[in-house]
Amino acid sequence: MIVTALVLGPILIGLALYALPKSAEAFARGAGIVVAMLAALGVIVFPHASDASVHWLSRPFDAAFHFGYGPFSYWIVLLLSLVTLSALTALRVPRVRDFTAQMLLLLGAMDGVFLAKDLFLFALFWDLMLLPVFLIMLGWGSPSHGPAGGRGTAAWRYLIYNLAGGLCLLLATAAFGVVHGSTDVIGDPHAGVAIGEVWGAWIFAGFAFAFLVKTPVFPFHTWMPDTYTELPPPAVAVVAAVQSKAGLYGFIVIGLPFLGAQMHDAQLLMFVLGIAGLLYGAFAALAQTDVKRIVAYSSLSHLGLMVLGIFSFDPTALKGVLVYIVAHGLFNGALFLSLGYLEAREETRSLTRLGGLGATNPRLAGALIIAVLAGLGLPGLAGFAGELLIITGLYHGGFVVPSLFALIPIVIAAAYMLRLYQTAMNGPQRLDLPQRKDLTWIEGLALVPLVAGLVLLGVNPAPLLTSNGTETVSVVSSLR
Amino acid sequence: MIVSAHPLGLEGSYPLLFLIWLLPLAGALLLWAFGPRFKSFAGPIGSTMVGVAFLATLAEWHDATAISGGLAGAHQTLFTWMPGFTFGLLFDRLALIWTLVITGVGFLIHVYSMGYLAGDKAFARFFAYLNFFIFAMLTLVLSDNFGGLLVGWGLVGLASYFLIGFWFFKPTAVAAARKAFVINVVGDIGILFAIVVIVAHVGSISYGDTFLQIGAFSPHDLFIVCLALFIGCAAKSAQVPLHTWLPDAMEGPTPVSALIHAATMVTAGVYLIARCAPLWTASADARELVGVIGAVTAIAGAVLGVAQWDIKRILAYSTMSQIGYMIMAVGVGAFDSGVLHFLTHACFKAQLFLGAGIIIHNLNNEQDVRLMGGLRKTMPFAFIAMLTGVLAICGVPGFSGSFSKDAILTATLAHGHPWLYAIGVLTAGITAYYMFRLLFVVFFGPYRGNVDPSDLGIRHPELAGTAASSGHHPEETDAHHAHAPAWLMSGPVAILIVPTVLIGWIAFGGEGSPWKTFWDPVFPKVSEAGGFVMPELAGTVLVFAVVLVGFALAYLQYAAPKVLARSVPRLRTESVRMPPVLANAYYFDAAIDALFVRPSILLGRFFGSFVDPLVIEGVVHETAHTASWLGHLFRSFQTGLVRVYALSIVLGAACFAIYYVVIGAAR
Amino acid sequence: MTQWLAPMESYIALSAVMFFLGVVGVIARRNPLIVLMSIELMFNAANLALVTFAKLWANNAGHIFAFLVVTVAAAEAAIGLAIVVVAFRRAQYVDVDEASVLKG
Repeated sequence: MIVTALVLGPILIGLALYALPKSAEAFARGAGIVVAMLAALGVIVFPHASDASVHWLSRPFDAAFHFGYGPFSYWIVLLLSLVTLSALTALRVPRVRDFTAQMLLLLGAMDGVFLAKDLFLFALFWDLMLLPVFLIMLGWGSPSHGPAGGRGTAAWRYLIYNLAGGLCLLLATAAFGVVHGSTDVIGDPHAGVAIGEVWGAWIFAGFAFAFLVKTPVFPFHTWMPDTYTELPPPAVAVVAAVQSKAGLYGFIVIGLPFLGAQMHDAQLLMFVLGIAGLLYGAFAALAQTDVKRIVAYSSLSHLGLMVLGIFSFDPTALKGVLVYIVAHGLFNGALFLSLGYLEAREETRSLTRLGGLGATNPRLAGALIIAVLAGLGLPGLAGFAGELLIITGLYHGGFVVPSLFALIPIVIAAAYMLRLYQTAMNGPQRLDLPQRKDLTWIEGLALVPLVAGLVLLGVNPAPLLTSNGTETVSVVSSLR
Repeated sequence: MIVSAHPLGLEGSYPLLFLIWLLPLAGALLLWAFGPRFKSFAGPIGSTMVGVAFLATLAEWHDATAISGGLAGAHQTLFTWMPGFTFGLLFDRLALIWTLVITGVGFLIHVYSMGYLAGDKAFARFFAYLNFFIFAMLTLVLSDNFGGLLVGWGLVGLASYFLIGFWFFKPTAVAAARKAFVINVVGDIGILFAIVVIVAHVGSISYGDTFLQIGAFSPHDLFIVCLALFIGCAAKSAQVPLHTWLPDAMEGPTPVSALIHAATMVTAGVYLIARCAPLWTASADARELVGVIGAVTAIAGAVLGVAQWDIKRILAYSTMSQIGYMIMAVGVGAFDSGVLHFLTHACFKAQLFLGAGIIIHNLNNEQDVRLMGGLRKTMPFAFIAMLTGVLAICGVPGFSGSFSKDAILTATLAHGHPWLYAIGVLTAGITAYYMFRLLFVVFFGPYRGNVDPSDLGIRHPELAGTAASSGHHPEETDAHHAHAPAWLMSGPVAILIVPTVLIGWIAFGGEGSPWKTFWDPVFPKVSEAGGFVMPELAGTVLVFAVVLVGFALAYLQYAAPKVLARSVPRLRTESVRMPPVLANAYYFDAAIDALFVRPSILLGRFFGSFVDPLVIEGVVHETAHTASWLGHLFRSFQTGLVRVYALSIVLGAACFAIYYVVIGAAR
Repeated sequence: MTQWLAPMESYIALSAVMFFLGVVGVIARRNPLIVLMSIELMFNAANLALVTFAKLWANNAGHIFAFLVVTVAAAEAAIGLAIVVVAFRRAQYVDVDEASVLKG
């Protein structure tokens, strides 16, 4: 029941919030923070909870209502709860009640994606988690006179692009269910799934398209910069930190165990796409002037590295991917929240207009520098641990050239992250910027779980690396 | 407390080691969090942390030297990520020497900084950064594995970034900090790749496991590992071609230049090669490469040192050159000579920088030597300090630098590298020339501080190098500029005079000297064919002769009486006629800019503004347009005319009818 | 069992021709009343076919079904005329093509 409560609880409470009057802002915000905290506590306190499977569909395939943890999903769900907690604590937005409700729906839906042990349930929640993001973008994005049409265009592009992926996912799931007989297979090492050649290729294509669009991987990434730019900071922190991992998670828990042969066949293509995204994202980030777009493109670069790690089929690389998933979530969350603080104060996101804020806002500068350093993979912080393990795995698996390619974005990341930080915080003070207060206690507190996670995992990511539970064993052994 | 033996030494638990390592971190965190409340009390707090660490290091001396045989000493395991990735601390002789320098010289520079930066608004922040640097450097030298080394490597780069850009409202400092950091990251990925290769062959990141299993590497792979490690060394130790960040790093406050960019951080590359002595001993190609690059850097830096007018830049290029010596030494396999030069260099270079700092501080942030002169009379203490430093760096016999430099040169020759030896000797002469030039221009002749800068050939006084540009802005000092007691600055300098002069004597006595005995069982012996063993006295005499030539040239050009009288026009002529190749540092900066920086930004703009919105998004738009076009197509069927709908019903029915007719006919 | 006045095929052919004429009338004529008349013609064609086959196979179901068709045709004519009256009450000219509000 606990795990199912993690999924349904936030959804129901989010819907229930609409019953409150619009003016109960503090209560709504508090309720959201409490729910996120309870979600995090639930994951920490009951790490071995597992729920029973409730059969609910018989034709055309067996499906069950089944939620539970796996070694990957456990950490991702914990990450999700923490990032949501930080996001809700961090910033004020207009129409708090509605916003908190949507964020809770998002939390519940994403919990559903990662906790689903039934493939059909996975597909349903996959589509479900798009809706709150879409609504948030329409309701809280920037006005419609942006360069690409503003929030409306970005929102529709996000929704339709990802729904196209979701459609392929649904078709692939249905095909899987028909061929195998049951979709209650995720995380079950005894599922005994054997998908034939012909069906397997199409099913994999469907899954792959959905996961590639969602992550996103080059060249299906064009929805991302506009989406990240238009979403308000708390939402983009959650989306960038966690929703982008849904595709990678899918490859790991669905692709590796059940579609291993197809994954091997697709390895070359995925390597090409991964390296392309790695380099493309890094270079593109170098030339942006909108601070959120810089982080968006850097995200593309980092996600490319994770794709390389997954498709190298090396156990070390896969462990590195898990560490990097969590690390990337933490530092992307911290970055977008810090940039959100910046934007809320200076009312601009453009590097051409920012400058010299470190002198008057030292605490904000401190928060931003920590996020920036984690983003560029400073040794000692979590991002580095992930990168080290992934590249070690790549080389160990025999992929020397990709491992060399993976080194280049690290240098470029240093350049664009420092450009971001220094242009905003260093240099002479710009007199045309509004002088606002420095970081408040609450805002700093919101960043604490993220920063603490980055430092602790950077020093010792052992909790993520020690394999416990049969699922990792089956996933890793299926790599042979 | 000894628990078990380990390839790296005596396994156990060493609480003092933790104290040495973590006390500066505690200081950094304390000062960073509560700095503004401590105000000027931050200086003593930071200094005490490092001072106590130094005392603890002395207390741990015995543990470090307990084992004699290979690079082994006190070992403490910390934690394990996963099998093969175990982190721990190793305190052996190599780490001992480095830690002594880091904490000892570090302590002196902390005390000095209390005087130099008195009144600065960000006083506490400076000491937080400085303590953080000490912690990071200690992480680097105390790690027992490549992973911890890389963490320390990255963190010292970070500390360097913070400290170079300490006065972050100065655009030149900000740019210099970014440049230093990015080049440092290039070095980081070199070491990262080396770790990756090592893990693939050995299955572990620990030094002990790696050195025990050198046989697992093919010669090609071993060279790749050494090359990758050397990329890291070159970036950190400012070797050609990754040296361009070092002169710009002089934007930081002078104590920073002394501690980080002279005594400790830039020697990290030397440490790494010495630490990986087993790897280098096994790969002749790596030795060749490193030796050559070290020699090239030594002479390149020396030649550029001749062309500088900023006192700190002169010292920066001299650092680059001297580190070239060290790299050359450890590269060819003369590990103990390289480490000796590190030790002497730390003392005399810190001495030179701190002395320069006294001059800069007293002249109200003047750094251009053309605007100095005759300071022998007004600042006699600074003169004595700089004089001892110059004598040491030139390798005048009896002073510390001569022991180490001679050791390096004879060892290079003994290991079979006559060309490198020749370059080294030549560099010694050039070093003498430009260091004595520095001494003469600054301390002799008339004082030129009141001369109009353009008369001296200074074209852009607002650029780095003159009081008009460098140092303190009105924004960063408090209104009442508190003058700290003078002993805070002159005390450390006075203390450093002693090792600057004397520390070389521990290497007196050839093979039986205390220094050699200390290192004899540690480093693997490198055997090279074609080595020529020059008698020690002959070597010293040869080097001294070259040094005298350099001194004489400098004297004739800058200190002869008739020259001193015409110092202003002579300096102007020299400024104007400085060859552009030297003035632009061999155009390395321009080359890096044209080859890497500009194309990257152009590529980024191409991707971000053209490919993404037009090409890739173009495909997406085309898909959307196709869907929309299909929609329009189907819309055209909805004419609204009943007759058309009726016709379509008829046609449909006719199709069915024909179908059934055909089927019927086929039966 | 009365005699056929003409070969059975000609009855069917006549039915087909009538039906075709009705179809053409529905499609090609613009006056709604003519369209309704054409529909009636199609009904009659169907009736003729039904009765012919009923006689051919001596099956009375065809005759009964023809009665049903007549009933339906009458009802449909009534409703159709009512729709025409209501739809074209305020139109200037009675033309089926003008009723194209559902154009998409």
